[in-house]
Amino acid sequence: MTRNTSLSQAARRIGQALVVILLAYSFTFLIISVLPGDPISNMLLDPENGFTEEEIAPIIAHYGLDRPVLEQWWMAISRFALGDLGISLRSNRPVSSMLLEALPSTLLLAGSAMLVALLLALLIAYASQNLPRRWGQGVARVLPALSLSVPSFVIGLVLIQVFAFQLGLFRITQPNSLAATFFAALALGIPVSAQIAEVLIANLDHEAGQEYFAVAQARGLRRSQLFLRHQLRPSALPVVTMIALSIGELLGGSLITETIFGRKGVGSLVQSAVVTQDFPVLQSVVSLAAVVFVLVNLLADLLYPLLDPRLRRRDTAARDDTAERLA
Amino acid sequence: MSATTLSPPRPLAWIGAQPLAVLLAFAVLALVVSWSAAPSLFSSHDPFLGLTAQKLLPPSATNWFGTDHLGRDLYARVVQGTWSSVTSALIATLIGLAIGGLLGLASGFLGGWVDTVIGRLIDMLLAIPNFLLAVVIVSAFGFQTINVAVATGVASVAVFARLMRSEVMKTSTAVFVEASVLVGGRAAHVLLRHVLPNAYRSVVALAVLQFGTSILTIAGLAFLGYGDPPPAADWGLLVANGKDYPSSPWLVFAPATVIVVTVLAINRISRWIRHAA
Repeated sequence: MTRNTSLSQAARRIGQALVVILLAYSFTFLIISVLPGDPISNMLLDPENGFTEEEIAPIIAHYGLDRPVLEQWWMAISRFALGDLGISLRSNRPVSSMLLEALPSTLLLAGSAMLVALLLALLIAYASQNLPRRWGQGVARVLPALSLSVPSFVIGLVLIQVFAFQLGLFRITQPNSLAATFFAALALGIPVSAQIAEVLIANLDHEAGQEYFAVAQARGLRRSQLFLRHQLRPSALPVVTMIALSIGELLGGSLITETIFGRKGVGSLVQSAVVTQDFPVLQSVVSLAAVVFVLVNLLADLLYPLLDPRLRRRDTAARDDTAERLA
Repeated sequence: MSATTLSPPRPLAWIGAQPLAVLLAFAVLALVVSWSAAPSLFSSHDPFLGLTAQKLLPPSATNWFGTDHLGRDLYARVVQGTWSSVTSALIATLIGLAIGGLLGLASGFLGGWVDTVIGRLIDMLLAIPNFLLAVVIVSAFGFQTINVAVATGVASVAVFARLMRSEVMKTSTAVFVEASVLVGGRAAHVLLRHVLPNAYRSVVALAVLQFGTSILTIAGLAFLGYGDPPPAADWGLLVANGKDYPSSPWLVFAPATVIVVTVLAINRISRWIRHAA
């Protein structure tokens, strides 16, 4: 019985995820290709861009720009579903191969940024519970709010100014060196770490107020054990939620970070696509970002029962209660 | 929550009872508003006039924030850029509040299939990374500060809709709302008299918080060059121009500090509204 309901629940979540992806593609299509009055043809026909008749005709045929909007939308979305991302208006190459080239660098950056963010958040959260109350904990608690008030490009510029120009730890002319990648990841990760830390601190505080925590304290457990077993472990779920939610931020933030640090990647691909009005590239990146976001969050949803035994219990009341507290 | 929520007998005493940080935050906000309302009152320098003999001067008594690569006074530029930086964030917040608020209200109050449809729309908006969504909107509609503001607003619709929905649903199940429905209160009456007044504090707190976030997003978009081109002086654009002169770090740090202090003040006020006002 339980097995069946959880299976059908999973099926429902997957169905919802597909609908959301479809909507995200259509919404982006609406913004890019419909509302401004077909920017692709506008751009192609602009004499300043120097396209010849022979170049324009196949592009118009490929995207069906002479057909009704609904038909264009259907063509676009069936291509997308089959993995065909279209052809760049500028380089005349398939968008998918451009993306594949750019992806490894961005994955490395975003992955390291997530790692940095987690470590920083853990550090701050630990400090918020275990440092001397007035100065240590106070500082640890103010830090996330403070770094959420700093624009991400400023964090990057400060890191470059201090560690590249003043201390000479890395060279801005070699953006792919280990040190430069580390500082780029730091710039991208700090805002994410602040968000995770805020959620984590709130949950640690909640756990510290529980009776079982007081009991564990009275049993004479060491600080570190108290922290790991009775504070951190029950707080794992909201952290997983935050990680899944911040995927979008990492993807969006890579635009600024890659520009500042001079890295080649998906972010800089978007930046040049924006400047050159290369709409197939934009459409693909944005809809793929939505796909990644939806899949990661779906995965997180399906992971919860594995992480938290309370969610595996049969009585749904307790389950709802836990789910509500996590939301 | 605190005694200060009761109608204060003396306004001065009430002000004195607020935390110092909140008063400071309001002072910062007042300064920023005055900068945008009357920039010429706050700086004797012409923000457009460049004196090449005085380019890249460090901060001093005459040039508080130093001068830029064309010899323009940076403080005057920052003050001049305040209006568009702040107004566009305000526009963005109002767009998010209006559209998101209505969506959330309809979703939470009507329930049923309306809730399902709007719920999927909100999921969709959440799934597209905010910054990317804003970038796409700006690139489709043109590089202008007003488009940047609209794009930022659209990107923030989902946050407002989600909060409004949960607030409305929370209040809709309260006993006094049930009672009002039972004694024959009409939907519009219940909504305006009971549901909205109870939702409004957290929504206002979110709007203020989102105002700060919008300043950051808009600064980011201006930094990438998606807003009005120079000689416009949006804060993000000033930082972008300054980053090309690493030996004159004040060109980055002065406008950056203004952004950070403004956003910090706004966030502090948002927290104050949520907890104490």
